[in-house]
Amino acid sequence: MKLKSRTPSKIMLDMTPMIDVVFQLMIFFMCTLKVLEPEGDFDISMPLGAPSASTVNDAELPPFKVRMQADASGALQTLSFNGQSLGAGDQAFARLNSEVFRAITALQAIGKEQQEKQEVEIDPDYNLDYRHVINAIGACSGRLGPNGVPVRYISRIKFAPRREPR
Amino acid sequence: MKFKPADVSAAELDMTPMIDIVFQLITFFMVINKFDQDEADERVGLPRDTLARPPAVQRKNAFVLNFGFTKNQKGERLSEDPFLFIGDEQLTLEQLRPRLRQESQFYRTIGTSLEDVTVEIRADASVKAGLVQELIQMCQETGIEFQRFALKATQAAVQ
Repeated sequence: MKLKSRTPSKIMLDMTPMIDVVFQLMIFFMCTLKVLEPEGDFDISMPLGAPSASTVNDAELPPFKVRMQADASGALQTLSFNGQSLGAGDQAFARLNSEVFRAITALQAIGKEQQEKQEVEIDPDYNLDYRHVINAIGACSGRLGPNGVPVRYISRIKFAPRREPR
Repeated sequence: MKFKPADVSAAELDMTPMIDIVFQLITFFMVINKFDQDEADERVGLPRDTLARPPAVQRKNAFVLNFGFTKNQKGERLSEDPFLFIGDEQLTLEQLRPRLRQESQFYRTIGTSLEDVTVEIRADASVKAGLVQELIQMCQETGIEFQRFALKATQAAVQ
C-alpha cells in the first residue's frame, strides 16, 4: 500500500477584520472629503489707504483711475477708466482689460520699468457689490495667455479713499 | 481498506482584487483630502475671477478674515449686515478692532515685521465694496498697521 505523503496545508489568514477596518477607513475618508473649488488671489501688491510719501515718489505718473458707480441695488451702473466711460456688464470689464493693455503698451515705449511703477486706483461706490471690485482688479492685473499662463499688466493696485454711503 | 471521504471545501472567494481596489480608493481619498483649508469658511461665497491664482509660494505669515453673511439652511441671508467669522464667533466690524490689535501685537511680540504679514481677506461677493474698504482701513490704523493684503477669489473656469 502506498502512503500518501502529507502535504503541508496552506495557512489561511482570516481577512475579515482587516477588510472591516479598511472599509471603515474608506468611509471615513469619503465622508470627510470636502469638495472645494481652488481659490487664489491676484499676486498684486496693494499699497493702500492714505498716500504715503514713498508711493508719491515711486510713481512719477498719476495712477490710472478706475471709477465704478453702483445703482441702488449694488449692481454696476457705469465703469470708467481715466474718465472714459466703458459701460456696464461683462463687456465693460473686457473693455477695461483692453484699455489697460493699450495704456501699458504706451508706457512700455517710455521704459520697461514704468510698467512696474504704474498704479491703478480703484474708486468704487460704497454700496457696490464686492464682486465687481474683484472683476476690476482682475481686468487690471492682466489677462490669460493662450496656454492658461497669465500675462501680467499691472501689479500695483490700490483703493481710493472710501466714499461715504449715500 | 477504508477510503477517506473527500472533504467538501467551502467555496472560497478570492478577496485579493477587491482589497487591491479598496486600498486604491483609500489612497485616493487620503491624497485628495485637504485638512489644511479649515480657515475657509463656507458661509462666505467668494467672487469668481479667471485670474485668481493660488500663491506660488505658501505664505509664512498670513491670517484670514472671513467677511460674509449669516445664512439659514436654505442659504437665505439672516441679516442685512455682514459679519466677520473667527472660529465660532461672529463679530461686527467694530468688534473686530480689538482682535486686530491683539493680532498685530502678537506678531510684534514674536518679532515678525508687519511688512511680512499678509492679511487674506475672504469677502462674500455681495458685501458692499465700501465695507471691504473700511475693513482694510481698520487694518491700517495706528496701533494695528498691517500693510500687505490679499483679496481672495474663486478661480473661475476659462471658457
